[in-house]
Amino acid sequence: MHFVSLVLKNIGRRRFRSTFTVVGVAVAAGAVAALMGLSTGFEQTLVDMYRQRGIDLVVVRTGVTERLTSSLDARLEQTLAGLPEVRQAAPELLDVVSLEDANLVGVTVYGWRPDSLVFDHLRLLAGKNLAPDAGRSVLLGTVLAKDLGKRVGDRVEVYAGVPFQVVGIFQSYNVYENAAMIVPLAQLQQLTNRRGRVTLFDLVLRDRADAQATDQLIHRIDGLGRGLTAMTTGTYVSTSAQLRLGRAMAVLVSTIALVMGTLGVLNTMVMAVFERTQEIGILRAIGWRRGRVLRMILLESVLLSLAGAVLGTLAAVLLCRLLGHLPGAGGLVSGQIPPLVIVACLALAPVLGLLGGLYPAWHGSHLLPTEALRHE
Amino acid sequence: MSEAAPLDSTADAGRAAAANRPPLMRAEHIAKSYTDGKVTALVDVSLEIDRGEYLAIVGKSGSGKSTLLNMLGALDRPSSGEVYFDGQPLSKCADLDQFRSQHLGFVFQAFNLLPILTALENVQVPMFETSRSASQRQARALELLEMVGVAHRARHLPKALSIGERQRVAIARALANDPPLLLADEPTGNLDSQTAEQIIALFERLHAERGTTLVLVTHDRDLARRAQRVLRMQDGRISSEANS
Repeated sequence: MHFVSLVLKNIGRRRFRSTFTVVGVAVAAGAVAALMGLSTGFEQTLVDMYRQRGIDLVVVRTGVTERLTSSLDARLEQTLAGLPEVRQAAPELLDVVSLEDANLVGVTVYGWRPDSLVFDHLRLLAGKNLAPDAGRSVLLGTVLAKDLGKRVGDRVEVYAGVPFQVVGIFQSYNVYENAAMIVPLAQLQQLTNRRGRVTLFDLVLRDRADAQATDQLIHRIDGLGRGLTAMTTGTYVSTSAQLRLGRAMAVLVSTIALVMGTLGVLNTMVMAVFERTQEIGILRAIGWRRGRVLRMILLESVLLSLAGAVLGTLAAVLLCRLLGHLPGAGGLVSGQIPPLVIVACLALAPVLGLLGGLYPAWHGSHLLPTEALRHE
Repeated sequence: MSEAAPLDSTADAGRAAAANRPPLMRAEHIAKSYTDGKVTALVDVSLEIDRGEYLAIVGKSGSGKSTLLNMLGALDRPSSGEVYFDGQPLSKCADLDQFRSQHLGFVFQAFNLLPILTALENVQVPMFETSRSASQRQARALELLEMVGVAHRARHLPKALSIGERQRVAIARALANDPPLLLADEPTGNLDSQTAEQIIALFERLHAERGTTLVLVTHDRDLARRAQRVLRMQDGRISSEANS
């Protein structure tokens, strides 16, 4: 018999309690995996979106925390495009609308110039691209078109009483863009009363590999004195107010879930030690050292937590995949939990087990053999 | 019940070598009190236990015999006085767990086998504190179960064993690390007279053939008379001592 066999038998002797503890830990680990996975996955989705567009820097208004409220003079495009390191500058106006008929909330509307470089990464599945004199035309992402049930030639009321004709359905590598729509920049400026204004500029650099030159360019744009802040796409995404809030919420809820999971393990192990007081007394009487009793209880606790973490993480992966296929959320979540989050969840399990098992293990190992033997 | 295997005998050589050595165990003026001295369990008890001796401690409930056994078994420390093992004071022993593991075997009235482990596994439990491998532990446990006559029940859980078989498994467990001293606290207290006789016969075999020093706590006078020496406890003191 191996030591671990004894530990496993101890776990198996109270199947219901062990099962409930594993389920409790699974819920905690699953919540952490799902929340952190969705949070970091969404962030990664946005970073990927800019990378796939080939964009190196994003320029927004200095000091703006809510990105949608950034408003810049569209004529700054000339200034930015004139910088020697910049190959191209593309203005973007962003808005978010609700399409209540389809029960879709938070659909992103991109206002792009029809000749913008950002179209390059999109693949048209049907119809055609926005023409220079497009008027009220709209391109729908493939997920959005499916959710709306629209095809080329149909009409979509992007704003109340303002129908746009669907001229094309596109597919991006990015789930976030697939749930969005693109309208001509001029149309969006007019409809949102932001004539001559844009939300941001996307910059493509001549030499993106030159990190030092990129840093210098960022400082130069910041120093133009035009109220501009340049940042890499990674920084742009990670400093978003909504993402920060989402991340903070995910961390908070995950922490609560972990505390609850730890308390579950603690409760189980305290009960186990109490019920096995006499047995621990016997083990001590026949020569088991405190350290071995400690290891036995901690190992039980860690194995319970590990089983829960594996189960919970697996459930979270399946749940996220399911979410990725739901019409309402399909465009916002990739359905994938980053491997790092999965590894972190599994690595957290022993910590949770140790935290939950530490007090009962210490208590059990410090029982006096004579008192423990008298325990009924 | 299967036939018990013959015991290996090292008794003669051991007894000869023991002639010039200190007693195996010696208690010197030990006392034990609880709850700040309000309850006195032992009062100035001194005794010596020779190597290979078969000693019985008798007395009524509350006479202090189990407390004395706990002191001899290093399960508890005396409030005053000293217990010596092979001439070494236990109060100076840095690791009493290791001491118990290597030098003592315990047999309890209620057997105290772990209910989730088979007989074979129960006997292996004390061996976790030794350097034996898993296969060595199992081989040793099987050998001991054969010795006490329950090898055929090795794969059974305690609940599937008769009470006599349980006590035999408990004795095998006590012998797991080959201790020179076996301490038994009312080992026949839960047994019918026929089974009790079989268990005592097994103890006597161990004592005679292996030279194991045996300290038996009992309230059964007939049983105690079979020992080489009988100590009677009363009110926490040794009230009388008799050699058989």
